[in-house]
Amino acid sequence: MKTEIVHNGNQVIAKFIGRLDTPSAVQTAEDVKPLMEVENKEIILECAELEYISSSGLRIFLSIRKEAAPHGCKVIVRNINDEIRQVFMMTGFVSLFDIQ
Amino acid sequence: MLDLHAEMLLEEYDAQLPVYQRLETVVQQTLEQALERNGIIVTAVSTRIKTRESLEGKLALKGNKYQSLSDITDILGARIITFYTDDVDRIAAIAEQMFDVDWENSIDKRALHQIDSFGYNSLHYICRLPKKMVDDPYCPELNRIRFELQLRTTLQHAWASINHDIGYKTGVEIPREYIRRINRMSGLLELADDEFSRIRTEITDYRRRVQQLVQSGKLDDVQLDGDTFNSYLQARPFDSLNKRIAAINQAEIQEVPLDEYLRVFRALGCKTLGDVHRLKKQYEDNAYRLARYQLGNTDLDIISSAVGIQNICIVCILSTGGGKLGLVRFFNVVNGVNSQNEAIAELTYEQAKSLQL
Repeated sequence: MKTEIVHNGNQVIAKFIGRLDTPSAVQTAEDVKPLMEVENKEIILECAELEYISSSGLRIFLSIRKEAAPHGCKVIVRNINDEIRQVFMMTGFVSLFDIQ
Repeated sequence: MLDLHAEMLLEEYDAQLPVYQRLETVVQQTLEQALERNGIIVTAVSTRIKTRESLEGKLALKGNKYQSLSDITDILGARIITFYTDDVDRIAAIAEQMFDVDWENSIDKRALHQIDSFGYNSLHYICRLPKKMVDDPYCPELNRIRFELQLRTTLQHAWASINHDIGYKTGVEIPREYIRRINRMSGLLELADDEFSRIRTEITDYRRRVQQLVQSGKLDDVQLDGDTFNSYLQARPFDSLNKRIAAINQAEIQEVPLDEYLRVFRALGCKTLGDVHRLKKQYEDNAYRLARYQLGNTDLDIISSAVGIQNICIVCILSTGGGKLGLVRFFNVVNGVNSQNEAIAELTYEQAKSLQL
């Protein structure tokens, strides 16, 4: 599992590559820490190359969202595959995120 | 040109200014904290120290009236502008407890009007800080200096400001007819103030009644609207279903807002909370079946508190022939219109089809 963070003008893009499962979640949580410091920008969670997300991955997404709001940031989840879309839907988090 | 006495008072003002500034900070903070403690939301809390120029003007007009600077009670002024007339009285009661009020010099302008007259409405308290609040042996003036606390509503403030502006700007004596019209406006605003207070009281009563109806289960008597739906949600009607769903994978439940579902229930034809409650009862078992089907062969151990209500709506839409299009509309409401909603609806529709909901 790899996480790349790119700053692009008013956006900060976090690109997730691979499987965000329980074993990889600890490192990913560490990798996304810079997102918690971002102020007044759009945070894009780019999931085009994310193959799978577990509960631990969902918790990471939720913590990014939780930190973003008080920092004036909007979180957008982009390009999720069918399997991940299903995870968001059946856990009831689909309406919590802006999924594009 | 000021006389010698007035000049002496101005010198005293210059010397005492740092004490007034310290007093100003204490008064401002004390008032803000008291309002917060009592949960009173107001339009503004402000303080100001009379400028030297303004004091000069006052002394030029009536300098002989004052023996010393401490006789002038409005060098430090504090003002609280409230939304409602009731709050003026509430804050006055709080101020009476916090400060030493100089009753002889305090005025309730509201009570001064004759029954057939209208005009400036405000409550002016002349106060001192009691020793129990501030006790600085190096600055005993903090307890001696009096300050003026003005309490008025937003509408009273608007009238006073406009009246001041009109009265001072023209520079000529205003004809009686115009004064009468200005004062007539004060009467109108007094009516509006009373009406706002009454509306607030009635809304509070209404909310209380709705909560009682929700608690007593008489939901058919409660029209479905934003307020009543919130009261219904406060009773946490979807908790038991969420807990059943959470038990599938021993999941934790994350709280999320559910207010968007008001629009969904309205679209589903609910007119009262009774309709919502019946819909919930009718479809919650199938909503659970859908969740068990979806989550049962996963290890997802986190769900949102929206999962129960979401599945109830999905099951209701499909059971009443809403089909795929109905699901798209549903997701458009709860997620916002989004190109992904069609894919989510398609996925949900296929899953639900295999359950023959």
